[in-house]
Amino acid sequence: MENLIIDKTSDTPNILLDSLNGKIEISARSLPENAIEFYTPIINWVEEYSKNPSKETNVNFNLEYFNTSSAKQIAKILLLLKQLSNDNKVNIRWHYSADDSDMKSTGERFSKLLNLEFEFIEVN
Amino acid sequence: MSKHTFENTEFSLSLFEELQKKNISYIHIGNFDREVTDAVISLTEKNLQTEEESSKMKKKIFAIMVESIQNITRHQTADDNEDDLGLFIIKKSNDRYYITTGNSIEKDSIPTITELIQNVNVLDKDELKAYYKKILNEGELSEKGGAGIGFIDMARKSGNKLSYKFIDLNNSKSYFYFQTIPSLVNISENFNTEAENSLSNIIETHNILKAQKVRLVFNGIMNQENLNGLLDTIENNNFNSESTKKKLFYIVMEMLQNIVKHGSNPNEEHLGNIAMFILSETEGGYLLTSGNYIKSENEQVLANKIEYINQLKKKDELEKYYDEILFNFENDNPKNSGLGFIDLRLKSGNKLKPFFKKLNNGYSYYSLQVRI
Repeated sequence: MENLIIDKTSDTPNILLDSLNGKIEISARSLPENAIEFYTPIINWVEEYSKNPSKETNVNFNLEYFNTSSAKQIAKILLLLKQLSNDNKVNIRWHYSADDSDMKSTGERFSKLLNLEFEFIEVN
Repeated sequence: MSKHTFENTEFSLSLFEELQKKNISYIHIGNFDREVTDAVISLTEKNLQTEEESSKMKKKIFAIMVESIQNITRHQTADDNEDDLGLFIIKKSNDRYYITTGNSIEKDSIPTITELIQNVNVLDKDELKAYYKKILNEGELSEKGGAGIGFIDMARKSGNKLSYKFIDLNNSKSYFYFQTIPSLVNISENFNTEAENSLSNIIETHNILKAQKVRLVFNGIMNQENLNGLLDTIENNNFNSESTKKKLFYIVMEMLQNIVKHGSNPNEEHLGNIAMFILSETEGGYLLTSGNYIKSENEQVLANKIEYINQLKKKDELEKYYDEILFNFENDNPKNSGLGFIDLRLKSGNKLKPFFKKLNNGYSYYSLQVRI
């Protein structure tokens, strides 16, 4: 399965999806006008990956900001990861800036709602 | 209660109309440092791209912007006294750009500044060039910019006379307004009257904004590029704390994206939605005001939505509602995640303040205020 790498722009995040090493990373800013369009290939990739995943999957969310339309797409990705975690090892790391209590509490709510364990990492 | 305060919701409409009428596209009031200057310049750059201005004209505008903002930074004092804050305004009227800056100065420097500008204003193009060379050769540059080299430079770049005005602040200080009108061909007809009128208009608007502690005004096409530019400006500004800045970023982002997606434009010749965005200081916080047009038929639905969210009082009620919508993918569409207003309410911790006014062309003016 092909890796999917997308470089960040002023309003879309860095995406690193590496099937061989079981790596899923979303970082920087996510505030596109059309979040569905941006996230559809990413969601499709995660779905495809889940059919034949690595032994262990390491997921890193390291977002500086995201808008509400991105939140909904991130929720979709997390739902897929929740399913994947039923039979596979999935580690989710949620990075947040020390100044950004909203980012932390968003992660906590996602974790609680999906009943999925997150590791929280404070960044500077 | 005064008519000209944000407490009066009609004020946002009158300001919107004033900005449209005077064609003011961007205002920044505050202390100018390098980051702020860069952000102001980059936002204007984005705006000029939308306007498809010629590269020659763009170069002129940039050079004058940089020089005139440097004028502010040279003279500004570090304190946050409202009267001493720097001012930058750009407007475009009849295909002409008007760049105005302002800063407070000691009264005793008025004669010097006046003389420097008047010396420049009597010279024609060739004389300016010679004068510029002479000053450079003589090396009379003092720490504060010296011998008006900046004025000579701006006069050369603009191709027109410089206009200025001093307004008394108190016994020792005055406010110095300085306006440059760049053009590719020299404007001769009625130039003085036009420049003077423009400057008085700007002073009038500045006074209204100053009284409300306005820090930033954007008036123009609200598209994704300008949204990114405005967010950069928020990022590069000095707010009382990093966490305030983060909050402002989130809130401005949602407010503006709402306009990008749902705004309307009664004026078909513009591509994109005309909108106003204002950031002002309040006691212990900030007030964000947006204003734009929507189709009148959509007014009620919008009003109901905001009212519903406003009546949810407890944080957990709001969060519950947010989560419900977050995981509801049935009506997943690019235009509307349904989360924007709840997010604004949650992040600000305050009620949202909407204002609608039907205009007579099937459109309504819609303003939203968020306090943090």
